[in-house]
Amino acid sequence: MEEKLSSVAKSLKPSPIQQLSYLAERTNAINLAEGFPDFPAPPHIKAAAVSAITSDFNQYRHVQGICDLLADKMKQMHGLDVDPLTDIAICCGQTEAFAATMFAILNPGDEVILFDPSFETYETCILMAGGVPVYVALEPPYWMLDRVKLLDAFTAKTKALVLNSPHNPTGKVFNMDELEIIAEYCRTNDCVAITDEVYEHITYDNEPHISLASLPGMQKRTIITSSLSKTYSVTGWRVGWAIGPSCIASAIRNIHTKVTDSAPAPFQEAALTALTSPQEYYKSLRRDYESKRDFVFKLLSEVGFQVQFMPKGSFFIFAAIPDTCKLPDVEFVEELIKQAGVVAVPGCGFFHTSRYSRENVGSYHNRYIRFAFCKGATTLTSAAHKIRQLVDASGRLKIL
Amino acid sequence: MHLGTYHSTHGRNHAFKLSHLLLTCAHSMHLGSFPFKMLLLPLCTRPSLRITLSKPSLVTTSIAGIGNNKSSSSSLSFQISRASSISTVSTAKEDAVMAQDGPNNQHPVQVAKHLEKFKTTIFTQMSSLAIQHGAINLGQGFPNFDGPEFVKEAAIQAIKDGKNQYARGYGVPDLNSAVAARFQKDTGLVVDPEKEITVTSGCTEAIAATILGLINPGDEVILFAPFYDSYEATLSMAGAKITCITLRPPDFAVPIDELKSAISKDTRAILMNTPHNPTGKMFTREELNQIASLCIENDVLVFSDEVYDKLTFEMDHISIASLPGMYERTVTLNSLGKTFSLTGWKIGWAIAPPHLIWGVKQAHSYLTFATSTPMQFAAAAALRAPDSYYEELRKDYKAKKDILVEGLKDVGFTVYPSSGTYFVVVDHTRFGLADDISFCEYLIKEVGVVAIPTSVFYLNPNDGKNLVRFTFCKDEETLRSAVGRMKERLKGKLCN
Repeated sequence: MEEKLSSVAKSLKPSPIQQLSYLAERTNAINLAEGFPDFPAPPHIKAAAVSAITSDFNQYRHVQGICDLLADKMKQMHGLDVDPLTDIAICCGQTEAFAATMFAILNPGDEVILFDPSFETYETCILMAGGVPVYVALEPPYWMLDRVKLLDAFTAKTKALVLNSPHNPTGKVFNMDELEIIAEYCRTNDCVAITDEVYEHITYDNEPHISLASLPGMQKRTIITSSLSKTYSVTGWRVGWAIGPSCIASAIRNIHTKVTDSAPAPFQEAALTALTSPQEYYKSLRRDYESKRDFVFKLLSEVGFQVQFMPKGSFFIFAAIPDTCKLPDVEFVEELIKQAGVVAVPGCGFFHTSRYSRENVGSYHNRYIRFAFCKGATTLTSAAHKIRQLVDASGRLKIL
Repeated sequence: MHLGTYHSTHGRNHAFKLSHLLLTCAHSMHLGSFPFKMLLLPLCTRPSLRITLSKPSLVTTSIAGIGNNKSSSSSLSFQISRASSISTVSTAKEDAVMAQDGPNNQHPVQVAKHLEKFKTTIFTQMSSLAIQHGAINLGQGFPNFDGPEFVKEAAIQAIKDGKNQYARGYGVPDLNSAVAARFQKDTGLVVDPEKEITVTSGCTEAIAATILGLINPGDEVILFAPFYDSYEATLSMAGAKITCITLRPPDFAVPIDELKSAISKDTRAILMNTPHNPTGKMFTREELNQIASLCIENDVLVFSDEVYDKLTFEMDHISIASLPGMYERTVTLNSLGKTFSLTGWKIGWAIAPPHLIWGVKQAHSYLTFATSTPMQFAAAAALRAPDSYYEELRKDYKAKKDILVEGLKDVGFTVYPSSGTYFVVVDHTRFGLADDISFCEYLIKEVGVVAIPTSVFYLNPNDGKNLVRFTFCKDEETLRSAVGRMKERLKGKLCN
């Protein structure tokens, strides 16, 4: 009966990230792979959810207050004027916001530009909606944007561009110069931009998170997607949003209604509390994550990984396997699990090869490992301890 | 071009019979004669869906009529775009609609053309009007009473126990087991919770994932009208060709000869709903047997939406998956919301054999990735409720149904028998209004009660113009008040 599957489904593979999680679980490895915290969610937000359930906010719901708060935030953070009544769609996580946006704007054959490496889900949403992903490789080791490559990627069929900043897996935060280049090409090619800003509050060294939508001529062509998950450590609650020009937001809302109908009601209520967290919450979030970043960065450098690029945002470090080690990333991670009892994500899943892209990333697509540091201090310390047990006399990790 | 085989990360090879549409060749997707036209309408967001609002989230002033007519809130003459009129709307009208929209007037027209009718739903429109006129809302299908304490407590406990991060994509193991156990109890079928169940954000998402995972553009899918409004929209998103079989009063029986002529070797799937929203019809064993033999003969899949399976009154619910030869070709869809009065939690699931569940699971993982974690734990507890819970549920709803049905008959409606769900459809024509929409407007404005016009549930809206749908998933006092208003202001206004 396999022929009954749709052609989209047939081409899909299970997430390599999830598969490694299962292996790690079976071997009780320390999980620095999946991007979610293992420390508790903030108590004031959990309490709000509990209170919502007890107060009977349990039926289908759209909580307009979320839109009001988001509109305020967009004004405060980016100077954007957003109409909370028409410009915002609440969805089941940023995942659904992104999927619904793709269905809202793509016609079969429309091309969508993405930056490589990129989070694996974008491509599939684009494909499901009949679009064609086109990759522009960011240049290692610092993941620089090459404007010529980007210009070259635009064709008569380009409908949209996806920008994830702060970036998963590299931790790059696109700066104003880069954003201006992207904006310029979007304007001249009359292209829609979709941003994934889920790590918007997780930036380091005072690096500002700038939303592409705040650049000249961009608000009317940009859909911002984000969620509660990473900012408030509640990845399992599934409350996200899309913000954009009202006709597109309206289409996204209507698609969302057909795909899931409503985001979980009690968590929408709790979102009101989350989104009114005091400034101190965001400061301490950043501070905590920054010290975790520094800890893991130091560890990885000391044991011999090539970590030339210091992440400025998100909670990932994209470390390179040094040239002296011949193992490709997948085998390397398997060894890491078996010998050190620590799991990370092989980078190859984030790179997209010549089937779609105009560039060939063949030489380095299996040389990177993504480590997540959104974990409690105990977890990180244990991971460091286990990894350090595997170093040889010169202090280098034996696998390397 | 990548053809035919794929490898899972465990290195299994699966050779597939090729479909004529391959993903990697976007340019080979032939649109053919499929009319991809749409009218995209900039309407406001859904206001809060409860009549008694505890948050000031209501929108009253910016409700736009569909089309160019931005009617004020006091005007009741809203038009509902019907499928037939939508497909003939010109581009000029589209631009005019766009230009009226919001503070930034010059939007590039960027929205996808191929989605046929994505607009604010009839439910939203009716709810807004209900609020404006203080009408009692027997339109939208969610309870105005809450779910059972033991389920809510389980969710609260899960939150406190820190179950707040991503759940396993296809479901928390405990929930998958509970779903399998319940399914076995209900149908006798033994399924593997790990390989044959995917948990989704409500049954709505299960339907979307099933369709997107298993339907190719151009595939023929058969629907029974009237149908829940997400079916048509999601099939359009998948580019399917829809064939509609209309169920007609008084008993909404399946016209088996029509089905026989509609079904062929080119038919990919039948999407059915039993117990049936909006009519309350339950497919009989004989009907299911006939559908089954046609499916087996023509190698057709069945997607069966069974969310109301526990709300049955006059007969037992039968899952088509349990009929001989059917499990291997059926996706059974269900959810927590209706059975446990927690419609806002969005916990649903799909049950199917491994070769079908695969597609559903994949599409799901890219639609929402994972489902609300604490609610899944609570759902597992809910599904282990003893038989007495379901007996009580049925008893309560039966009492509510009796209040409504007796009331509607007394008022003068022709009430069609409903054996399941918490809906009942009636013929309103004796009151002399032109169609279902005019009747519903009249009912809100003059009587202070909301019903849903059924024409939006049909491909051909004319088929529904005599019928409106009432719901009885409200507390008894609300039902009695609604009936009271109708007796007072509607009874005796018959025109024939």
